[in-house]
Amino acid sequence: MGAPFTDIEIAAAPFDPEAAHADFRRRVDGAGAIVAFTGLVRGKTGDGEDVSRLTLQHYPGFTEKEITRIVSKASVRWPLVGSRIIHRTGDLESGEPIVFVATASIHRRAAFEAADFLMDYLKADAPFWKKETRGDNAMWIEPRAEDLIDKARWRDSEGDANARDQRDS
Amino acid sequence: MARILFFGRLSDFAEAIEAPLPDGVRDTDALTAWLSRENARLGEALARPGVRVIVNNAFISAPLELSDTDEIAFTSPLSGG
Repeated sequence: MGAPFTDIEIAAAPFDPEAAHADFRRRVDGAGAIVAFTGLVRGKTGDGEDVSRLTLQHYPGFTEKEITRIVSKASVRWPLVGSRIIHRTGDLESGEPIVFVATASIHRRAAFEAADFLMDYLKADAPFWKKETRGDNAMWIEPRAEDLIDKARWRDSEGDANARDQRDS
Repeated sequence: MARILFFGRLSDFAEAIEAPLPDGVRDTDALTAWLSRENARLGEALARPGVRVIVNNAFISAPLELSDTDEIAFTSPLSGG
């Protein structure tokens, strides 16, 4: 298999995840499975407060470079035919797509796992900064402990398999 | 000209700077100290846990020598996805 097809996009304007999925499907000839994930802006915080706006910053050039590095890690672990990542920046409202991750492989397991891995690493390692506006208050969001735990489970592949077996049973 | 950038919480307190490095500033620690003297609110934000420094598109893990051609970014903790 040649190098997997990779498309990374930092989008300053709203994007259409269904169109992104359809486009991706056309570009991964030979794949037997596609897994696509879309993250949406939640309208409420964990404490039930309304979020009126989310603002995302990125570091042009560096953010793309770091996402490319994350995708390369996934490509080493799973035999991917392709992957596509779209991540929003700028001002977003509740319900808007904020991130899209699609992976394609010959078989489903690799596509599922690689998409899960990419999302965990995007949450923890991709250079984005998120500011949440609640009423008149705005605050910068920091990674939650769960985000770091989600990423850590990929460090030990045998441990990962055990954790998955327990969850699936 | 060095370029000094601020992301996340730090961008609330400072705009990007494009200028020669200040006199006597030769590494990232000295730059952090200089910025903190110039701008007390930025200094408080730079002292918070989780602040990281990127020099020429790479995170650094120890103080690094700087020159006037470098791009230095100060960041608060990342929060993507």
